[in-house]
Amino acid sequence: MTRPARHRRTLISAVSLATLVALWETALRVGWLPSNLVPLPSQIPGVLWAEVLDGIWLDVVLSSLSHYSIGLVIGSVLGIAVGMAAALLPRFDAAHSWLARLLRPIPPLAWIPFAIIWFGVTETAAAFIISIGVFWINYFTSYSAVRAINDGYYEVARAFGQGGFSARLAKISLPAAAPGILGGLRAGLGQGWMTVVAAELFGIPGIGQRMMEASGLLATDVVVVYMLTIAALYALFDFLFMRIQRRVLRWQQ
Amino acid sequence: MAAMNDASAPVLTARGVRLGFADDIVLDDIDLEVAPREFVAMVGASGVGKSTLLRAFAGLLAPLRGDVHLSTAEASASRAWSMVFQAPRLFPWRRVRANVELGLEGLGLSRDERRARAMEPLSLVGLEELAERWPRTLSGGQQQRVGIARALAVRPRVLFMDEPFSALDALTRQRLQSELTELRQRSDAAIVFVTHDIEEAVLLADRVVVLAKPDKDAPATVRDIVTIDLPLARRREQSGFRDHVQRLEQHIGVAATPEETTS
Repeated sequence: MTRPARHRRTLISAVSLATLVALWETALRVGWLPSNLVPLPSQIPGVLWAEVLDGIWLDVVLSSLSHYSIGLVIGSVLGIAVGMAAALLPRFDAAHSWLARLLRPIPPLAWIPFAIIWFGVTETAAAFIISIGVFWINYFTSYSAVRAINDGYYEVARAFGQGGFSARLAKISLPAAAPGILGGLRAGLGQGWMTVVAAELFGIPGIGQRMMEASGLLATDVVVVYMLTIAALYALFDFLFMRIQRRVLRWQQ
Repeated sequence: MAAMNDASAPVLTARGVRLGFADDIVLDDIDLEVAPREFVAMVGASGVGKSTLLRAFAGLLAPLRGDVHLSTAEASASRAWSMVFQAPRLFPWRRVRANVELGLEGLGLSRDERRARAMEPLSLVGLEELAERWPRTLSGGQQQRVGIARALAVRPRVLFMDEPFSALDALTRQRLQSELTELRQRSDAAIVFVTHDIEEAVLLADRVVVLAKPDKDAPATVRDIVTIDLPLARRREQSGFRDHVQRLEQHIGVAATPEETTS
């Protein structure tokens, strides 16, 4: 896209978002929407500020970030490792493929009962649930990325004395599968946020728990503050990750 | 052991090699010796098993019967053999220089030594200025030159080339053919070169091995070995060139009437 075209696109997006917020505000002020069900957009910054001043905002964000990061790291590392191992080691692939097919369709949230039985209503339980969703995304993308590698590269490796397992892994499998693996990691970043909130709705401290408290008091403005917080955190993580991804895959562009 | 250290001992010896599958033998009774610094081309119709045989010589495939002996690497930090493939098969995630360094990894060289060693063949193929580029930014001919540099970097005793120019346009192919003639004079490697292009074989090789099937259902074998006694830097127009080409064409069967070969 050319620079003027990109600017025009940004302008159109900004104007349409602003129009939507303005319509929302107007609809509430003239009484088209009931004010006990939806908060006024103009109230949101003030509510956010109050949450920040009370120290609640930082507390719940840090606590969510903590389960999120632990779950994300464990799920991603295990997902990539197991996915790659399955793609590279036919016996391991055969040994676990039925188990994988059995467990894969179970949504991460279905593990909540076990998470609570095993770990209690704790951070560990939240991290466990998050790691499950992240694991499967990374498992499948890594598996298919490694399987899709052109065999010709492995022949080159053998022809140049790099035919050992570790040399092939480091010099071919990892770099050649990197675009797919990084794509999976990025999808996992998003999936992680979805489960983080759901896991906290069961009382594990964090953004989700604060949203449940607020909804019990019909404080819709507080709920919206945290919805926007999640959107902003996700956008920040995704942006940072994209920068890293572009740097690692600069050979592709 | 004495024979191996003899400078004139063959760098590659194949005896009674049979290749393929137990119920589908592709090549049989292959005998061949390649002398140090010799350039041997292998020609034959497509599907006759030229590339398969090349891989067996390199040890990438095990023969069903017979044996292949490849002399060991002589100089320190070198390899017994290396290969140039039909498609360049550069690693797109490595810069040009790092691609050339591939075979030098694990030979006990420091990073700086590896860099220096990679730059030598790159300048031989005239690409030292592109050393820090990504492969995708190179033309097909440049990529294949990098493939050749990668193979030369390990200072092999035998350089296997599997139809290295067949995917290139005619002009680039001609340029690389004459570059290869110059390169072999500066390298100590023997070259085993697979091609389906008879003129290319006569242009480049000291000897041309013709692989062909004695009859339709039999496995292919060495039908003839033709010594090309023309001085190097050959041209297609020079006297004697066409005679060699015609002789080889007859052996492969392309000069025979099409009815005979297809029926």
